[in-house]
Amino acid sequence: MSLSVPDLNLRIIAPVLIVAISALVVLLGELVTSSAQKRGLGYASLVGLLAAGGAAMGLWDAHAVAFREMVRADNFGVFLTLTILAGAVLCILLSFDFTRAHRIETGEYYALILFSVTGMLLMVTAADLIIIFLALELLSLPLYILAAFKREDERSLEAGLKYFLLGAFSSAFFLYGIALVYGATGTTNLARIAASAPSEMLLIGAGLLLVGFAFKVALVPFHWWTPDVYEGAPTTITAFMSVAVKAAAFGAFLRAFLVALPALAMDWRVVLAIIAVLTMTLGNVAALLQANIKRMLAYSSIAHAGYILIALVAMGGAGVSAALFYLLAYTLTNLGAFGAVIALGEGERERLNVSDYGGLARMQPLLAAMLTVFMLSLAGFPPFAGFVGKFLIFGAAVQNGWAWLAVVGVLNSLVSVYFYLRPVVAMYMSEPVEGWGAPRVAPLVALALVLALIGVIALGVFPAPAIALAAGGLGR
Amino acid sequence: MVPFALSLLVLLPLVGAAIVLLIPKGQKSDSLIKWFAVVWSVIPLLLASYLWFVLFDPNASKMQFEEAYLWISSINVRYHVGVDGLSMPLVWLTTLLTVLGLFYSSYVIHERAREFFFMFLLLETGMIGVFVSLDFFLFYVFWELGLVPMYFLIAIWGHAEDRPQYSAIKFFLYTLVGSVLMLLAIIAMYINTSTATTPGTFDLIELATKRPFANDFVFASLAFWGIFLAFAIKVPLFPFHTWLPDAHTAAPTAGSVILAGILLKLGTYGFVRVLVPIFPQVFQANVLPIAILATISIVYGALVAMAQTDFKRLIAYSSVNHMGYVILGVAAAVAIGGANLTDRAIALNGAMLQMFNHGVITGALFFIVGILYERAHTRDLKSFGGLGAKTPVYGAILLTASFASLGLPGLAGFISEFMVFRGAFATLPLIATICVLGIVFGAAMMLWKVIQNVLLGVFDEKRWAEQEKHGVKLYDMTRFEVITLAPLLFLMVLIGVYPSVILNTLNTISVAILGQIVK
Amino acid sequence: MPVDYLPILVMLIVVSAFAAIALTISALVGPRRPTPAKLSPYESGMPPFGSARRRVPVKYYLTAVLFILFDIEIIFFYPWAVLFRQLGWFGLIEMALFVLVLLVGYVYVWRKGGFDWD
Repeated sequence: MSLSVPDLNLRIIAPVLIVAISALVVLLGELVTSSAQKRGLGYASLVGLLAAGGAAMGLWDAHAVAFREMVRADNFGVFLTLTILAGAVLCILLSFDFTRAHRIETGEYYALILFSVTGMLLMVTAADLIIIFLALELLSLPLYILAAFKREDERSLEAGLKYFLLGAFSSAFFLYGIALVYGATGTTNLARIAASAPSEMLLIGAGLLLVGFAFKVALVPFHWWTPDVYEGAPTTITAFMSVAVKAAAFGAFLRAFLVALPALAMDWRVVLAIIAVLTMTLGNVAALLQANIKRMLAYSSIAHAGYILIALVAMGGAGVSAALFYLLAYTLTNLGAFGAVIALGEGERERLNVSDYGGLARMQPLLAAMLTVFMLSLAGFPPFAGFVGKFLIFGAAVQNGWAWLAVVGVLNSLVSVYFYLRPVVAMYMSEPVEGWGAPRVAPLVALALVLALIGVIALGVFPAPAIALAAGGLGR
Repeated sequence: MVPFALSLLVLLPLVGAAIVLLIPKGQKSDSLIKWFAVVWSVIPLLLASYLWFVLFDPNASKMQFEEAYLWISSINVRYHVGVDGLSMPLVWLTTLLTVLGLFYSSYVIHERAREFFFMFLLLETGMIGVFVSLDFFLFYVFWELGLVPMYFLIAIWGHAEDRPQYSAIKFFLYTLVGSVLMLLAIIAMYINTSTATTPGTFDLIELATKRPFANDFVFASLAFWGIFLAFAIKVPLFPFHTWLPDAHTAAPTAGSVILAGILLKLGTYGFVRVLVPIFPQVFQANVLPIAILATISIVYGALVAMAQTDFKRLIAYSSVNHMGYVILGVAAAVAIGGANLTDRAIALNGAMLQMFNHGVITGALFFIVGILYERAHTRDLKSFGGLGAKTPVYGAILLTASFASLGLPGLAGFISEFMVFRGAFATLPLIATICVLGIVFGAAMMLWKVIQNVLLGVFDEKRWAEQEKHGVKLYDMTRFEVITLAPLLFLMVLIGVYPSVILNTLNTISVAILGQIVK
Repeated sequence: MPVDYLPILVMLIVVSAFAAIALTISALVGPRRPTPAKLSPYESGMPPFGSARRRVPVKYYLTAVLFILFDIEIIFFYPWAVLFRQLGWFGLIEMALFVLVLLVGYVYVWRKGGFDWD
């Protein structure tokens, strides 16, 4: 008697497999390369990511499930896959010179990023809670290590330790939530959970799942790790974490709550709305007080998670496509902003204090203009991607009866303009600060910045194609 | 027939701005940038002149030179542009003031010239874009687009002793508050006009016919006040005017001219283009509070202006006063009362003409202030005196502009103010009576504070001779300054003597707009 | 459904109660005659020396973690071994891939010197 082979549709998880194999190859490559050749491993990882991107594009309109309905390939998943891959590619482009300057250029760096990307890609195509958990751990563990990668810097070690301890704690909550959901419905499959009758235990399980997601995405009141971890981790890793983890976690968040738990929507919508308000407000207000640009961008990323949460509360096709578009716009913009910070570093010193940005408009006018564009896009200014994203989110909120949330969101955007303009003011209107020479931008970093800039402006002026792609919808 | 006429008008300054950025750095690059920017900005002026004087039909009440393309199909946003009798003169004025501003600046801006001219041309794109947009989303994009260059213009090239960065960020954030509330109203209107079968609309013409929230007065009011706030801050209407004095005094001369000449008009244009056609019932229900705010702007603005000792701040507050007349005219035109269409049309015509006139007159006044400041490095009115004899050409020009500002018959200001009051007396007699005080105070402020202090009196020879050691020399107008002011003075006299050149164009639109709302 | 979890709650209570009772009774009833030898920390019979807070060399930790990793791998072999016949070719290839992935890790640790004691 031979057991039946489950439906192994490798095509559906092709992007995941490609990135995983690249990660293993890079890890082995680390053993056979000398320290001067480590850059080649970075190129290899880029090749792997681009190949995965090609495979993902081939899955467009596939609408299939595989592995006993544990993994689903729909346009929602493909869109997020491409977003995460874009984020990873830009991050690695920024890493080449950064890692060399900070003496952390090793093959493990690239391998760990690739492993984390594997987890992220799996997370956005998961259709089962167990797979979501698996992917969650797979994406988190490499990031714990990467946050602590600068071993001589105690802030980096502190960041890694904090991230690990708090992350492990929240993963435990998440797992307990899965257990309760299984106890309440008898299944961990998202579609079948939706078909079961709701109960209090399911609600409690959903609440614990929320805790797990909220930690990963840095929602109030589970955001406390974000400023310290973002500040301490190497800046390229901070950039990567701030965009890709959010995209992946929100992908699973949207799937879990919109596909599996719509029956409980009456209960969790109000809770999420309140969390969104707290998150936006705390993120923006705290960012006003920061002098360190990494911390400021950390708090700003907390606030942006709040905006995306509004789209989740809105529900419906409009909410989902708004969230997807915003995640793409946010990925490009935030990586551009962090990229500018990285580009201005000198050797191991990083230009982290906003006052250190004085006079940059004269010394590096293009870079200053780029950073201005990224800051304005984050603030939600037309004609950049951030504006269209916010417009779609607020539109979805008003359309589905959550106009008061849109009002709060709009007022928060207003507040955020002030701290986004601070570096711009320093660059254009202050005198250069002592102790810093004229910045030189490495070519690959410049490439990453230009790509991000093109993306931000293109999404702002011609958003129609991206909006149409984002409207693919959550397959059942 | 000029294909893509309006898109060209919007994009030409943008292209010029890009070229300014790309001119290579070199020894003569500054003068090349300035020369190029001025010449390039003449092209939109010529195009606008051709469109207005040759191709435009003053008797057609529909939009002209329309272009419409689908931009973001999923939310039914179109790139829809067009002009009518209201926007055409304002577009033309924008191009004119930009040319004059760039021309003047090419003589006085020496630091970071490239960025200055880039910002200025970018600003022109934003302003023209607002005036020609017929899609609310597009309108909003251009509205916000104009904020950033203005912010930089004030913050970087503002006068250092006037707290330029504080004034700039105040202007920026203040205007942004209104804008974001307008954004919410835009979204609400879009959703309200969408039904199960048809998507909502952002189109200003369609919204005027579809009348969103027609059945829901509460929501209509919310949307109305949100948009009202955005425009009222820009106008500026009391009590949302507090950003104006700081921004105007801190800005460089050409920046002040554009700010007063055009940017304030964006607010009043919004009143007539958006609030009146789309929310007539709410407007009519709230005419009294709005008219009262206009009255306070007029009277209080003139009083505060009269109390100023800083020349530029005085002109800035006089802008509050003049813009109050515009809002008074609009409110009077919309008010429910016993007036017939003619009276209302006169009020609205007066308001629209006042928009144009104020741009010309106050633009000229800011140039005049700037010229004096360049010489004397001070704007303190008490320190001047006797300049009428010392610098006769300057004195004559200042005299003309001041008289135009206070509404002397024969000059432009009189026509528009007269028409506003003529119309306001029909629907809001009591308010109009109170506002007449504004004219009195306005005259007082100009005659007493400006003309008497600056032009008349005794010229303090000793003091100015001493100042010459610090490089301060009061000489009469140079040729480039006269060239800058000449077109504006010409317009002041022309409209004062023969206003039909523009009134016919405005009247068609007034009648059309009022015909739609007054049934 | 929640009532199915009642036995767990009962067990929790019984266990806590047992631990509490045991500790309490021994504290109340047991004799207390401390001597210096009884109070000193236990060190496998030898007299303790040195600080209790010395840094533990990380190689102990490394060995433990590596043991865990490969032990779990072995545990995964057991179900496969039991159902070896039924899983046939599929099972073999699947297991081979599994071992391959872990082999990459093994090679990495080996070449990086993780298996060297000193």
